[in-house]
This record gives sequence, structure tokens and C-alpha cells, in this order.
Amino acid sequence: MPPRLRCPAGCGLKSATTITGASRRRTIAAASHSALLLPSSLSTPTVPTSTRQFSSTAPILNSLSSLRLPDDYIPPTTPPTARPADVRKAQLLRTYTSLLRSTPLMLIFQHNNLVASEWAAIRRELNLALAAVPVPEGSPDIASKIQLQVIRTRMFDVALKVVEFYDPSTVAPTTGVTASGKKTTVTYNHDLSKSAYDAIKAATASGSTTPESSPYAQLSPLLVGPTALLTIPTVSPAHLAAALGILSPVPKMFPAPSKRKSPGYYDPIAQAGLQKLMLIGGRVEGKVFDIDGMRWVGGIPGGLEGLRAQLVAMLQSVGMGLAGTLEAPGKSLWMTMESRKIMLEEPEKKAVEGEKKEESS
Amino acid sequence: MITRFITDVTTRFNPFSTKAKAARLFLTFLPPNARSNGMNITTQLLPRTSAEPSTLHVKFKDGKEMNLDCETMGIKNLVEEVDRHSRILQKQSDLND
Repeated sequence: MPPRLRCPAGCGLKSATTITGASRRRTIAAASHSALLLPSSLSTPTVPTSTRQFSSTAPILNSLSSLRLPDDYIPPTTPPTARPADVRKAQLLRTYTSLLRSTPLMLIFQHNNLVASEWAAIRRELNLALAAVPVPEGSPDIASKIQLQVIRTRMFDVALKVVEFYDPSTVAPTTGVTASGKKTTVTYNHDLSKSAYDAIKAATASGSTTPESSPYAQLSPLLVGPTALLTIPTVSPAHLAAALGILSPVPKMFPAPSKRKSPGYYDPIAQAGLQKLMLIGGRVEGKVFDIDGMRWVGGIPGGLEGLRAQLVAMLQSVGMGLAGTLEAPGKSLWMTMESRKIMLEEPEKKAVEGEKKEESS
Repeated sequence: MITRFITDVTTRFNPFSTKAKAARLFLTFLPPNARSNGMNITTQLLPRTSAEPSTLHVKFKDGKEMNLDCETMGIKNLVEEVDRHSRILQKQSDLND
């Protein structure tokens, strides 16, 4: 059990010795209420409106400041959860929404009963392959940031809805009262807020239909059963190609590493794991791709830089073609005129030459 | 689900279709050591645009083959249908032992 109350309630009440039993209980309740609403730093007027604040309806607090409970007081009716912090639903939702907002390239896998040793083998081989990807000069090394993680599918689905249908900037600020009695405007627009809940409920209610083209509608059929994500923090086709070579190899495009180069990949444990892991789709820059689409992204030579170079080359060739086309009529007119001039000049020359010959003879 | 008597599982589905759910979940019901115990599991993923129905083909040790309709049957019905035959085989093997 967690520590409940360090300081027994009586010690705060020493000054008020005349309080009878019933009223004493009420005071303790009010004090415990106020203690939760008393972050002293929040009462300053310089607090930005986007930070979380506690509103309170108790200006009587000043008179009860001596009855303040410790900051880590836990009410006995709401004991803290026994779940570790990183797998609590609230924390998972925050993690997944930030993941969805910040990760441009993610691959979605279905994993069918992989055991821990198989996961370990797959992650080991994946890290080895990613570390071997050459990083161009000046760009950060993302290989260590790429990770293969098992997700809680339903929570991820909710997070996807929050990211898709909820716009935090539309939430109107509300007025609240700080512990010291000052009125401030507060905006509750975080991903766990009531407005976020209302937004996703309204978007996915049975009456309203989400458009087929929306990324959520496209991605939600994939989020069934046990799923895992490979998240790559930038759109880097080189890293994607390396990952595909390990996780879902294709003979010519994304060949699996050779037996001599990485014998660990042909380890029976790793192979057994890879057989049970299947790539079902991906999400690139908010757009949904199937396996062939992901292979296309992985096959872009030179990555984004390569695509830019291709575009520049294409635009240049178009420009040259245009210049050539515009020049052509002028050039052909000049050629025609020039040839005509030559044609006209030649008989004259011949005539002149003939006259000269006649004169000489 | 009783998987001892299954020798072959062949699935074919388009993961972007909502009808693929049953077939995908059936794969998750197979135990971690299914392949090492001699079960052949083949999965073919269809491209996103294909409208082909998702199929599940199961073969048993006694040679019985089942072509299950994943489009209309849910995962519970699939498991029920497969177990119905597996239980018969289990009864026989128990009697032989």
C-alpha cells in the first residue's frame, strides 16, 4: 500500500482545540480539498494560460492555511494505481499521440505470438542493419532512434482519433479561480481533456461517417489484433530499406543480409520470430501506404535528397526544351531567309562570272 | 483452440479490408511453436486495392480440409468450426493411447 497521510490530521488542528467531532471532520475534508488546490506557484499572474491550473471555489482558504495537508497527500478513497507509470492508459495515450504527431515514417506489423527471445533476436539484427546504413555528411544519426515497439492496439486507435479529429487550438479558454482567489483564464486543451473526448466522440459517432479518404478511416482496419510499430524519426528511405531487408525481405529489391555477413540473422530463433512478424502497412507523412507503397518509399534512390535531385533535373530538362522550342521558329526563319539569300545570290554570281568570261574571250 | 491436429494453414487477405479481421486473428491463435512442430503456415497479403475475399484454408492430420469463409464468420465461429473437427481427432487419439 502507498503511504497515505504522513501527518495525522490532529497535528494540523492543534490551534483549533475547541472544534467538536462533527465540525472537525468537515474542516479536515475542506482542508484536504484545499490542499489539492494549492500549488502556490500557480497563483502568480505571470502564469501562461496554456499551463494546467487548479480551479477552486474556496476563498476561505486563507483562514484555513494552517490546516494545509502535505502535498503528497493521497485520499484514501482514490489510492494510486498499481500499474507502472509507462503503461497507464493516460500515459500510453500521451505517448501515442506525441508519437503520431512527431513520427513521419512508421511501419505497422502484425506479430503472432512472438516470444521474448525472438523479439530480442529481431531487435538485435535490426539494430545491426540500421547501424550499417551510411549517414550522409551533416545529417544526424537516426539509427539509434529507430525502434520496434509493440503497441496497445486500442489505445493507439484512440490516439489516432485524437490526432486526426481534435484540434487543440479550437478550444475556448474558460475562467477559473486560483487558490488565492484570483480569476484567470485557463485552456484545457490537452489530449486527455474533455474537449478532446467530445471531439473524437462526435467524429466517430454512429450517425456521422468519417470520410473514406481520411487517414483514420484508412488506417483503422489495420489496427486489429496484436500490432507492432517500427518508428523512424525522419523520412529516410535508406534506413527504411535496411529495415525492410531484415523484417520483410524481397529477393531483388530488399535482399536479406548474407549468411557470412550476419550469421545471427539465420539463427533459428531469429528466423522463427521473423516468420511470425508480418508487415501489413505503413504511414508516411500522414498518408497511408500498403506493403507495395512502403517498398516504393524504401526504393527511392538517395532518399529525399535523391527525389529533390530528380525534380531539379526534370525541371532543368523541361526548361531547356522550352528554350529550344521558343528558339526554333526564329532559327528556322533565319535559316530559310539565309538559304533564300544564298539561292538568289548564286545566279547573280554566275551571271557576273559569265560576263567576265565573255569579256576575256 | 486445439491446434495439435492442424498441419496446414493457408490464409489470403487484404489487411486494409475490414473483412480480414477474422483471418488475421486466426493467425494469432496459433501457438508460438506451431512452425517448429511441423505446421505449415502460409500467409499471402493482397494489395490494398484488391477486392478479393479473404480466405482461410485449414488441413488436418487425418487429411480433412476446411475452406472457411472469413467474410461472414467471426473469429469465434472460425475457432468453433475448427475445434469441432479437432475434438473428434482428439477423442480418437485418446482412445488409441
